[in-house]
Amino acid sequence: MNKKDAIIKIEHVYKYFGQFLALEDINLDVFKQEKIVIIGPSGSGKSTLLRTINQLEKVTSGKIIVDGVDVTEPGVDLNKIRTSLGMVFQSFNLFPHKTVLENLTLAPIKLKKLSKEEAEEIALNLLDKVGIKDKANNYPKQLSGGQQQRVAIARALAMNPKIMLFDEPTSALDPEMIGEVLDVMKDLAKEGMTMVVVSHEMGFAREVADRVVFMDSGKIVEVGTPEHFFKNPIHPRTKQFLSQIL
Amino acid sequence: MDEKKTPEVKIEVTDGAAIPIEKDEGLFTAWRIAFFGSIGIIIALCVFKPDPYLEILKFVPDGVVVTFEVTIISIVLSFFVGLLTGLGRISKNRAINLIASTYVEVIRGIPLLVQLFYIYYAVGSFTRIPPFFAAILAMTICYGAYMGEVFRAGIESIDKGQTEAAMSLGFNKRQTMLYVILPQAMRTILPPVGNEFIALLKDTSLVSIIAVADLLRRGREYATSTFHYFETFTMIALIYLVITLLLSKCVSYMEKRLTPYE
Repeated sequence: MNKKDAIIKIEHVYKYFGQFLALEDINLDVFKQEKIVIIGPSGSGKSTLLRTINQLEKVTSGKIIVDGVDVTEPGVDLNKIRTSLGMVFQSFNLFPHKTVLENLTLAPIKLKKLSKEEAEEIALNLLDKVGIKDKANNYPKQLSGGQQQRVAIARALAMNPKIMLFDEPTSALDPEMIGEVLDVMKDLAKEGMTMVVVSHEMGFAREVADRVVFMDSGKIVEVGTPEHFFKNPIHPRTKQFLSQIL
Repeated sequence: MDEKKTPEVKIEVTDGAAIPIEKDEGLFTAWRIAFFGSIGIIIALCVFKPDPYLEILKFVPDGVVVTFEVTIISIVLSFFVGLLTGLGRISKNRAINLIASTYVEVIRGIPLLVQLFYIYYAVGSFTRIPPFFAAILAMTICYGAYMGEVFRAGIESIDKGQTEAAMSLGFNKRQTMLYVILPQAMRTILPPVGNEFIALLKDTSLVSIIAVADLLRRGREYATSTFHYFETFTMIALIYLVITLLLSKCVSYMEKRLTPYE
């Protein structure tokens, strides 16, 4: 892939939480339509890295260029950039006071100034796609965890983002519900969405990822294709991690 | 982090104003005993000893109206002052935060009666303030500070993930507060705000001291001119009780109506 196609460019990013160095000299390019899966032990900084991309987490130094805009620049219109960066959280974070349909239409109506009818049409199509159209008028608390996470994915997609960020989307789910969420993510991958996924789901990484990024202690230790990564990891820390979880 | 662990936040900020908890809907609840008991006693007194009880009941309605006026206007104003104060208390802007925090510290440290005297007599010595206006000003300033703390606690009780979800969709801070945080916070703070309203209603009796003709003041006028102290203040206490119980019923009714998304 051509370097020009990088839709996210992360350059020399450092992040301190007080004295603690959470990210150390991170460099990573994500190309259009690429699927990146970030793995690593807990506390390795993978969620922090993901959250710097849409600036839910500010960086201490370094640059992050998303679709041509340096998001670390002071005064940049983050709200506008975030509309093209969908994010899915571990704990779903659906709006409990709104119905499923309203969760999907709130941002398009208020931010994209769509009419209620237009927004609802898009929302219902998306709910159909993630397989929960029949729950459109329910409140999030009436749904199972897997259903809530699928709504959360649909809510992010309703803004028609260019990139989707997933922060451990299946970690809070009961085992039998993980599959339904991963299936939705796989469909999304097939449609060519650019995706950055923090996950412990090795099966998903193997099947969907173009590249796997392994992080440890705030550093990127190894980057490679799934075949390289799971069959012939180079770094001893990667080998150790994989032997522990596989 | 799944739905089971979502904390059910309940804030208790109260000075003892009681909202009866009706766990079992039996015939005898504390609220019903108190409410129908006091109405029954008022009726019985007026029927069996119309002089002076019925006379008192005829004398005080103007006062009830004034008490309601002071209460309702102060509730509305202190609600907005409280909302602004609460937002100020969580503001990252240091100046705004300090102003709001200092306001709360100062006002909470001065008794309401002293604040009332201060506005009516101390400030009133420079510029004449009508008693009714002074009363509402004092109630609003005082309860605005209390309400500010309730709002702050309510806003802070909303999970940080809600803000992050809204921000990640592209909402700015103001929109996030308006569309996502405040609607949820309103449900959390309704019980303590209701308690504040009831406390405010009772505290309006203090304004009788600065020549506002409220319920208590009308009672004192009647008592001093007829020397029926026992009878008058018995009626006044019963009337306050009935009004307070009615308001507390309204608050618990609103509470029940405001929780459809469970």
